[in-house]
Amino acid sequence: MVPVSYYVALSAILFTIGALGVLIRRNAIIIFMSIELMLNAGNLLFVTFARSFEQLSGQVFVFFVIAVAAAEVAVGLALIVAVFKSKQSIDIDEVSNLRG
Amino acid sequence: MQDNWLFIGIAVVIAAMLPMLPIAAARILSPHRPNRLKNETYECGMETVGDTWVQFKVQYYVYALVFLIFDVEMIFLFPWAVAYDNLPLLGVIAGLVFIFLLLDGLAYAWRKGALEWS
Amino acid sequence: MFLTLLPEITLVVLAFVVLTTDLALDRQSRAFLPYLTAAGMLLAVIFTIVFALPGDKPQLIFGGMLRHDWLTFVFRLVFLFGALATVLFSAGWERVARRGEYYVLIITSTLGMMLMGASADLVMLFLAIETTSIPLYILAGFITEDDKSTESGFKYLLFGAMTTAIMLYGFSMLYGFSGSTNLYWIAGALMSGELPFISMMGTVILVMAGFAFKVSMVPFHFWAPDVYEGSPTPIAGFLSTASKAAGFAVIIRVLLTAFPLEAFGGVDWTMMMAIAAALTMSVGNLIALAQTNIKRLLAYSSVAHAGYILMGIAAASELGGLSVVFYIIVYLVTNLAAFGVVAVAERTLGSNDLEAYDGLSRRSPALALVLLISLLSLAGVPPMGGFIAKVLVFAAAVEANMVWLAVVGILNAIVGLYYYLIVLKRVYLFRSEEEDKPVPIPRPSAVALTVCLIAILVFGTIIAPWFDYSGIAAGALF
Repeated sequence: MVPVSYYVALSAILFTIGALGVLIRRNAIIIFMSIELMLNAGNLLFVTFARSFEQLSGQVFVFFVIAVAAAEVAVGLALIVAVFKSKQSIDIDEVSNLRG
Repeated sequence: MQDNWLFIGIAVVIAAMLPMLPIAAARILSPHRPNRLKNETYECGMETVGDTWVQFKVQYYVYALVFLIFDVEMIFLFPWAVAYDNLPLLGVIAGLVFIFLLLDGLAYAWRKGALEWS
Repeated sequence: MFLTLLPEITLVVLAFVVLTTDLALDRQSRAFLPYLTAAGMLLAVIFTIVFALPGDKPQLIFGGMLRHDWLTFVFRLVFLFGALATVLFSAGWERVARRGEYYVLIITSTLGMMLMGASADLVMLFLAIETTSIPLYILAGFITEDDKSTESGFKYLLFGAMTTAIMLYGFSMLYGFSGSTNLYWIAGALMSGELPFISMMGTVILVMAGFAFKVSMVPFHFWAPDVYEGSPTPIAGFLSTASKAAGFAVIIRVLLTAFPLEAFGGVDWTMMMAIAAALTMSVGNLIALAQTNIKRLLAYSSVAHAGYILMGIAAASELGGLSVVFYIIVYLVTNLAAFGVVAVAERTLGSNDLEAYDGLSRRSPALALVLLISLLSLAGVPPMGGFIAKVLVFAAAVEANMVWLAVVGILNAIVGLYYYLIVLKRVYLFRSEEEDKPVPIPRPSAVALTVCLIAILVFGTIIAPWFDYSGIAAGALF
């Protein structure tokens, strides 16, 4: 069996990639995908620990996270389309007008 | 421990070789006589008209969103259905309430025209 | 158990009823939807007081998911009141008044807040936070024909989703360290285990990222001014009061129960929260000085107020908890009144620039009076409720040996007073050419504003009962 620390390292790498993606990329869709990566890093940890503790609660948590992430993405895509219709762009720097 | 990794390493090498070998072999062995017709995208079918990067109509996207939501709710119904026989009455009712709320959402999407194709 | 959950069940049923009625009605008759929503919420308030009174002992219900104690009870009423006022303000705000789904989203969000205030388990906490946030993202971007609104919804969502992901990662580590998702179990596991300081503190920081976003604590405050400016004004008020209160309800419960101070050796999270409090109020107040748009000004002022409330949390004492609860109650009614005035004024003035408020006292004396009382209460001038609230948080800081924090707080209160008075100077002393055009107040907004106004004055003059209630609520944590 692969030791827990390997999964933890993998999830830390996934989380870092996601976080860097959110901070560096400017395309709204790619930012969303990076956020999904961060969420899934958390999911991976939950499943890993649930397995090593031989519990179900961590796995149930992941179910809920998946459902919530889907709802968040649906709302996010709807908002992106709304923004795109008026601005013809989804680059978050070009879209931003509220400043001050 | 070390052995496991050795096998994984061998598997990776073999897995990489499998597609690379035929491609390389084809490159080396096959005759190379290009012409205009052969270089077209699929060598067959229609020529594309205009730019390939067209935007999809917005209807697809509303459909996709509705599908996305209802599809994911399945993961809660599946364990409920599997464990149905052993559930207490309260658990059955909770599942029914959940389905009922989903139906309410469907009725809303329907009434607001999210399922119309126009 | 069902009686204790009755307020939540009422809201679920109400959301269903409003959505179905909306589908069944034509455009004209939808005007009564806000009143239907308000009536349902009033019913939930009555159920909370009559059927869902917590006993002497806090009890864990719903399989350990929720904790039913006096803190839950007080915050339930806080959220319901905030939602009720928001619905009444919305009824007079034409662009949203007849949209059934708008009210359904407010109800759902309120439901999430009530669960946030009661959560005793990470699963429930995560679900409650998302049930609160996702409807709010939509509400902020609700007016799709207005570029500003969609943009603010979009920004809110991006920030919110990112901080949620960070928080979830913290949750997963917490689960890994303790082997349970229950906050009280986690506390026990952290106390007994010999976790290195760095992983304890790292987890606190990750988890706090999500909560800090909800209360707009520095450095997670960037979204607040942009989102408040763009979103529908009643929703901006809702975001800055009920949603923020929900964030604080979670912060005090999670920090005090899941991360007991004894589990840390020497340095613990109180120092971190104290620094965050000082930064939050200073940043909020200093940037507010430069604002020319009233919604942005109130946004930065609400960031500053988050800083004051964090002072009470940093104290981590019974007095600290009491001051937090008291401050949140007073801040809720005060800021709702301020945003309510902006929502009403916006209809006639057509602008949120401070210049548009010149001579408002001659166009609508009543509206100007509400703005006067609420801004003075925000500034912490006696005899308004805001004064008592500020005194309590300063006292909590001093009691916890953080005199420097109290000094920073007092300096900030002076800066705050300055920019609130600038607004009032425009309203009362400046003249404008349009003074003969009155500013009408819609009936539902007038009712909500009156209630808030009375509450501000009552909290500031008859202190004892509210002080006791806050003490009982905070006592549930210790």
